[in-house]
Amino acid sequence: MSTKIYQSGQNRQALEKIEKNEKANIFEIIGRILAVIAIVLVFIPDVNPARIFIGKEIYSSGKQQWLSEEGKMNINISLFTSAVNYDATVEHLKTDYTKGVIKAKDADGNVIKDENGKVVKVPVLEEAPFHTLQLGAVLVLAGIIVSAVAECAGIGNRKLRSYAYPAGILGSICSLAGIYVVLNAYNRIEQRILEYADPEEFNQVFPIGIYVFAILCGLMLLTGLAKWITNIIRLREAGDLRPLKPGMQEKYRLFLMILPVIFLSFLFCYLPIYGWRYSFFDLVTGDYTLTANKFVGFKNFKYLFQNGGDTLRVLRNTLVMSGLGIATSWLPIAFAVLLAEVPSTKFQRLVQTFTTIPNFISWVLVYAVALAIFSRDGFLNQLIGIITGNRPDTIYLQDGSNTWLKMLLWGTWKGLGWSAIIYIAGISGIDQQLFEAAKVDGASRWQCIWHVTIPGLLPTYMVMLLLSIAGILSNGMEQYLVFENAWNTETIEVLDLYVYNLGMGSSPNLPLATVVGVTKSFIGITLLLVANRVSKVIRGESIV
Amino acid sequence: MSTVSGNKVEMKKKFRIRKSPSDIGIDILIILFFTAFTLMCIFPFYYLFINTISNNDLVVSGKVNFYPREITFTNYANIFKVSTLLYSIFITFSRTVLGTFLMVITTAWAAYLITKKKMWKRSFWYRFLVITMYFNAGLVPWFINMKMLDLTGSFLAYIIPGMVAPYNIILVKTYIESIPDSLEESAIIDGASTPRVFFKIIIPLALPILATITIFGAVGNWNSFQDSLLLMSSTPKLMTLQHVLYTYLNQNSAAMNAAMNSGGSSQLATVQMNSTANQYTIAMVSIIPILLVYPFMQRFFVKGIMLGAVKG
Repeated sequence: MSTKIYQSGQNRQALEKIEKNEKANIFEIIGRILAVIAIVLVFIPDVNPARIFIGKEIYSSGKQQWLSEEGKMNINISLFTSAVNYDATVEHLKTDYTKGVIKAKDADGNVIKDENGKVVKVPVLEEAPFHTLQLGAVLVLAGIIVSAVAECAGIGNRKLRSYAYPAGILGSICSLAGIYVVLNAYNRIEQRILEYADPEEFNQVFPIGIYVFAILCGLMLLTGLAKWITNIIRLREAGDLRPLKPGMQEKYRLFLMILPVIFLSFLFCYLPIYGWRYSFFDLVTGDYTLTANKFVGFKNFKYLFQNGGDTLRVLRNTLVMSGLGIATSWLPIAFAVLLAEVPSTKFQRLVQTFTTIPNFISWVLVYAVALAIFSRDGFLNQLIGIITGNRPDTIYLQDGSNTWLKMLLWGTWKGLGWSAIIYIAGISGIDQQLFEAAKVDGASRWQCIWHVTIPGLLPTYMVMLLLSIAGILSNGMEQYLVFENAWNTETIEVLDLYVYNLGMGSSPNLPLATVVGVTKSFIGITLLLVANRVSKVIRGESIV
Repeated sequence: MSTVSGNKVEMKKKFRIRKSPSDIGIDILIILFFTAFTLMCIFPFYYLFINTISNNDLVVSGKVNFYPREITFTNYANIFKVSTLLYSIFITFSRTVLGTFLMVITTAWAAYLITKKKMWKRSFWYRFLVITMYFNAGLVPWFINMKMLDLTGSFLAYIIPGMVAPYNIILVKTYIESIPDSLEESAIIDGASTPRVFFKIIIPLALPILATITIFGAVGNWNSFQDSLLLMSSTPKLMTLQHVLYTYLNQNSAAMNAAMNSGGSSQLATVQMNSTANQYTIAMVSIIPILLVYPFMQRFFVKGIMLGAVKG
């Protein structure tokens, strides 16, 4: 190329100006959207091209269903899993499909017999095509990752783009090759089934993801080519206003640097929302495949609100326990204020040190402590025995009375010292002149507390109170899980624990557990917004 | 903490008011209350401890209540022969070290970048990260998601999801904002890249707050129970210490019920002896590390929690 490249100060400034005002063209925008879609779809099992779905068809009540356990393979596996975890892909293969149940046939269709005249049996499925399958998945995944990285680099200047676009094209080609490999593996498995297995019994479903990813990667390839060509034309036109080095505007550079963190946050906090689809299906235990015939719309939501027995009980428990927590939320203030009244500094420090310890141990350990003190041979019974000479046999934990109060007391024992720290620090933040002025005016000890200390702590308290009101439905589950037993389960089950018991218990009801979770999420976010609004009105400052 | 008392002492010196007898009485009541509450907070741990180092026969017959008797460490020796427990200690320790380290680096990195006003759509991304503190999709969707990401039964499930900690991002961001810009700017003028500024300037200056979140993170990891319970029930080798303790507490009560039903009192006694000894000892094993680092972490409390009260 004969174009001279100048990087004189004047030219660089002119170039920066042009690049700053340059709008992304249509291909670039489409390319970015496609890359984001591809990255998300990598984690969605339903569109996994490498999802080999083999079932034994059974018919029940006129509907076609898949046999729940043995009849399906890697049904809940995403492309990502298919690529990185071979064991997950062949999990059911090893247990169900390699059993020697099929008679081997030779090329003419005759049953093969060994030397002793026994029929030779071979496994329905071999492992070899599954290696190919994983190879295909790895290629697709690698191609998509390359394309996505190239797409990020494509935000840079023209020089950087001239590297990024060919890389993106290579990525899409790699993905397309991967899809071809997957298709090949699929066909080999299909052939094997047609050859050896009873087609009535074994049926392979064509993975829809092959279409999805083929179209997606094809589009990515096309836009990639278009971008590449337009960029070459641009560079030609730019003449001597060509960037010498690859580079990127600072605002995008900073964004790309935080992008991995955003991606992690998306994976673990936003992607789960996709699981809400379970709330619209009717599933039986052990069968978690979502098919169109199981779609029930809002039936589960209606069930939750109509058959309200359990719901009401759990809601009552939740509200009572949160309510008790809120009603006693002034305790830490009292603790801090009283502690500040103690004349000895050493004593203050000692109390603070030891009362914060319980906050740093887990609820499981709290339960271990509870067992040590309140079990049949625990400390309390021994102590009563020593004092009265007559040791009782009461097992305090196996008792369903006053559960709410007991839980409140455990919570207070664990958290009081810790929650008080913020107020203790708050007291030290109050202007000493206020105290002095009050003393000079002849205020008594209690007047000082009431008119100086407490008003000084109120703003902090308001924030804490609003946050606890916003979180009124989420009291966590660990505390209640460890203390739950046959005696108190009626009164201890709060929403979070109820969801756990419903969804992960002995007979899981995933849809209903999801419905409860979804409803709770919506109410929670509404309460938070309301609390935030209240805070804005009262304090002129938001809490979120 | 020290500032509270410092100011008070100063105040007392300036305005020494003669205390009335009723004031002194109230002081005594307050001190009595705090003494009682403090005792309630530490006695259970002391009780567990003396029970683990005493002769098990005496423990079962209820003779160890206030001080250890016939001190022996066989319980601790025995407990380390249980392989599941050793595994869980190893797993919990690794996740505490690795998980906390990665969490601190990621969080600090995110917080530093968020303070950069030039970033594209900065406030949107900040909200995007922080809102996750108040919102979650629910337990079952979360579990399905972990399955989708192939993290059930994998050690990575302990480390990767915890890497982005929104609350800690707020803490560190608030702290970094209080660092004068001039330090950073001079480095940038000298041609330092963003990662270089982060590692050479921001991290050393933000050490106090990083220490605070390290401690919170480490305690959280050491105490972790829920993720292990939900994700590792079919892979016992990956259970955390708290999870193992929980299964012990549950199993033993089941075993005791069974023994009680079958009516064999000697059998009951053996089960009981082993079970209480095991429970107490495992509990002690998981408390001791916290008590050991406790004196070091205490000074970071106030700073951390005060910063947390400041809106990010």
